[in-house]
Amino acid sequence: MSNSHMFLPSGFIRTPLQNGLGRYIPQLQRITLKFCKNHGGSRGVRDFIESDLMEFAKTNPGTVVYLKPRRHRSPCMVAEYLNGEREYLSCHEFSRDEVHKWLSYMCTRSGIPVMRFRKYQHTDYPTVQGVWNPFTHQAPEINIAEFPHEVLSRPLDHGPTATEQLIEIFKKTQIEDPANKPPEL
Amino acid sequence: MAALWKTCQQCLRYRFSNVSIYTSITAVNVISKRNFKAHWVAPTLRELKRRKVIEDDLNGGPKIFHRSTFLEWNYDAEIFAFSNRLGEKFNDLSLRAALTHKSYIERETARLSDIGVESNLQFQDNEALSQKGGELLSKFINGYLRAVFTQVPEELIRAMHDFLTSNPTLETVARHIGLGDLMLCADFPCKTETYVKSFKAIVAALAESSGEERARIFVQDLVVTQLYGQDVNELWNPVDPVGNLTAILKREGKAEPEFRLIRQAGSNSILGVYYVGLYSDKNFISEGAGESLEVAKEMAAREALKKLFRTEDSMRALPFGRQLKNIQSKIAQLENQPNIPLSEWISEKVMSAVH
Repeated sequence: MSNSHMFLPSGFIRTPLQNGLGRYIPQLQRITLKFCKNHGGSRGVRDFIESDLMEFAKTNPGTVVYLKPRRHRSPCMVAEYLNGEREYLSCHEFSRDEVHKWLSYMCTRSGIPVMRFRKYQHTDYPTVQGVWNPFTHQAPEINIAEFPHEVLSRPLDHGPTATEQLIEIFKKTQIEDPANKPPEL
Repeated sequence: MAALWKTCQQCLRYRFSNVSIYTSITAVNVISKRNFKAHWVAPTLRELKRRKVIEDDLNGGPKIFHRSTFLEWNYDAEIFAFSNRLGEKFNDLSLRAALTHKSYIERETARLSDIGVESNLQFQDNEALSQKGGELLSKFINGYLRAVFTQVPEELIRAMHDFLTSNPTLETVARHIGLGDLMLCADFPCKTETYVKSFKAIVAALAESSGEERARIFVQDLVVTQLYGQDVNELWNPVDPVGNLTAILKREGKAEPEFRLIRQAGSNSILGVYYVGLYSDKNFISEGAGESLEVAKEMAAREALKKLFRTEDSMRALPFGRQLKNIQSKIAQLENQPNIPLSEWISEKVMSAVH
């Protein structure tokens, strides 16, 4: 299950010009709809233009819509993005809904070529506390310690030995001698 | 597999060997004949492409055309979309002036006079707007930096400001808001200076049209966000960190910095590492690592300065967009108030400056 056979380039998710950090700028610069006024393959596009195009243009005032009626050509849409990329899509025999959906898909793109996302998050600051190195969390006492050391030579997860535990239990069960207790303050 | 073998056996037994086991599927040509290209088409196209590549290389690159040479081009619509895309309202005249360059006007007047037409062009160029825009840009950027980096000396503020107003940064911003197709200029492909000039003129045009507040927010949203992902310590760090730190501590009345070796590994090898800790009056301030003692000492001093200026790697994230709503007045106030320079830096002074 590897990705080496895929021709699709892969990368980390990114956005042009830190879009969204300050304000969101819709990346679709202009869209050109080319269609034929007669041919049946352009019917969906023609229906879309007649019914839904005005609403689309009103909701996306940042995108310029160009209509190009061309006889004997199959319909297509060419989307141009702010980063200079172009996206071509043939709309031959599309229905009106399909044209609308593909158009709204173009609106949501940023112009960065389609790629496989390696991760769905990206950060420029991967570490806040600093990357671990072997000296992190090491007690400064190791600098002047003579090894083998009583404390530092023991394993970290050693825990109290059975003897030590017994001594602790014994100490707890000791009845306190009132003479030994310090006077109450 | 066993069923297939059995069927084969049966076919052979009953002499059905001529009939295929599978029913023939007639090839349904769903896509039209366009996909069936003759055998000579591909080699011809390959040869034509090869020749085109050679021609382009001889001419110094493939031919490029300005977007306005296309049939589908409407400059008024493009300008309308430009202002809506940014969510700003521009005066039409200011915006058009901001996008018109002197070179374009000169070229057009020359062209018309060549033809013999009396040129009465009423274009206004963007020289004045660009000048004003440059000043506004610097002012807004400085205001933001001083309001966010309150503890930082003025030298670092200047370095960050220079980075944000540098030609590459402004050109990137200008390209990505779509100025490339809208500018009226004689050079194509447009030069960096043209982009930068147009962008500054746009800022001035916006200040004229919608007020300085909107222009400030515009600059914060588009230019200052380019600081995201940049390590501010890469942009500037003091030349003599040890000397500067000693001077600062002396000014504050604290003890001289004392360097102690705290960690060490591989001193006999080329991958040796030394950790040097910086102490003032036996209080730990910072530590630095390096491949030699001198480097580690310098790094420790740098870390100490970073801690004082609050620009460590773990510093607070920079505020952008809506997060600036509460400090806009502070930003406007600090636009004309430079931070303390490094030669006079003291903690008490910057503490009092924090509002």
